[in-house]
Amino acid sequence: MLELAPAFVDAAALLAQEGAAAAPAIPNKAAAALAVGLAALGAGYAERGIGSAAVGAIAEDESLFGTGLILTVLPETLVILALVAVFLVPQ
Amino acid sequence: MSVKETDGTSNYEYVTARVQARRAALFSDEDYRKLVRMGPSEIARYMEETEYESEVNALGSRYDGVDLIEHALNRNLAKHFNDLLRWADGQLYEFIARYLRKFDAWNVKTVIRGIYSDSESEAIEEDLIYAGELDRQFLDRLVESSSIEDVVEMLDRTRYGDALAAAYEDYEESGVLIPLENAVDRTYYEGLMSGVTETDDRATQLYVEFLQAEIDFRNARNALRIARTGADLDPADYFIEGGQLFRASELSQLSTSVDELATFIRDSTYGDDLSEALDELERAESLIGFEHALDAALLKYSDHLSHVFPLSVCPVLAYVLAKEREVDNIRAIARGREAGLSESEIESELVIL
Repeated sequence: MLELAPAFVDAAALLAQEGAAAAPAIPNKAAAALAVGLAALGAGYAERGIGSAAVGAIAEDESLFGTGLILTVLPETLVILALVAVFLVPQ
Repeated sequence: MSVKETDGTSNYEYVTARVQARRAALFSDEDYRKLVRMGPSEIARYMEETEYESEVNALGSRYDGVDLIEHALNRNLAKHFNDLLRWADGQLYEFIARYLRKFDAWNVKTVIRGIYSDSESEAIEEDLIYAGELDRQFLDRLVESSSIEDVVEMLDRTRYGDALAAAYEDYEESGVLIPLENAVDRTYYEGLMSGVTETDDRATQLYVEFLQAEIDFRNARNALRIARTGADLDPADYFIEGGQLFRASELSQLSTSVDELATFIRDSTYGDDLSEALDELERAESLIGFEHALDAALLKYSDHLSHVFPLSVCPVLAYVLAKEREVDNIRAIARGREAGLSESEIESELVIL
């Protein structure tokens, strides 16, 4: 087992050198796009619960439509904030 | 209504939002204060302006006075509780359905009592509350049956079958209804919690805790009644499994004296919630006052749970309890007014938080 260790260390060092030289696996802009996508997923999940509660409340009392709508779209701000990342990240 | 498949996820958000809205529409103290000063027909008129409107209008031509109020209340109760089952999916449906089986128990007992006392089938039918799991047609067939034996036979396939069949022998020997009614109650309470007691889910734990409290209170109430009447009954026979406060053996010992029982409850986990009720019991010697205080304590506890855990079954259960309480209160006011009780006497019959 022990005699194998130096071989692993060498391999790791080699990989590290190569990685530094090559382009990143995910380019900057792609990473930003991924961030926006994940944020949208999060917003969607948050809206699922709020939306169903809002529809329930509106079904009982129509005057709650405004409140329900506002609360439902609040998580949308997550996506808008994440969108900033796309413009901030360099090419 | 039939038992639907309970796969899929629970829609707690939707159901609790609707339930909270309906809860907010329940009568307030102010409404009760007004109602206490009204006569039966005025109460019916007042209800017409609230959410009981459609029921009062639908039944207005057939009944009047207290009968109208009572039928409107029962029908409204059934409507709301059927709504709960209609909305809920998944595990939530199962929880609610389990709890609402108390109306099945109520209906079965009503039918048995009605047949025992040779009432007209229409009179029995009027007292049924169609909010449980047994559907309307089945209940109507039950009402039509000619003897208690037929009823027990028809219920054979339901959850009450075995317990009732066993209790029927006792009934034949003794000729009193207590074994049958007790069998129905026990089946209900024991079916409430089977299969959910051991879980890591906090919401389910709360559900279990709440039901345990209800069973404990029920046991305490039965024990007190037996202690108070001094009847020669063994409370262990009427003991309901599933609570955490009493064991059957303790209960039969405690029920020999009201004082001992009161001390026992005071030292238990419910002591703080019930201290007022226990004071009342010792001071006024009134069992009714104590029972109302128990109801109020359970109501308060369910409220507390629904605030601590808004996205669980607790708000739904709290609503069911509060709605039942409202219906009982309005009925007590209407009946009290009809019997000519004074305002303060009626108020002492109400359970208001």
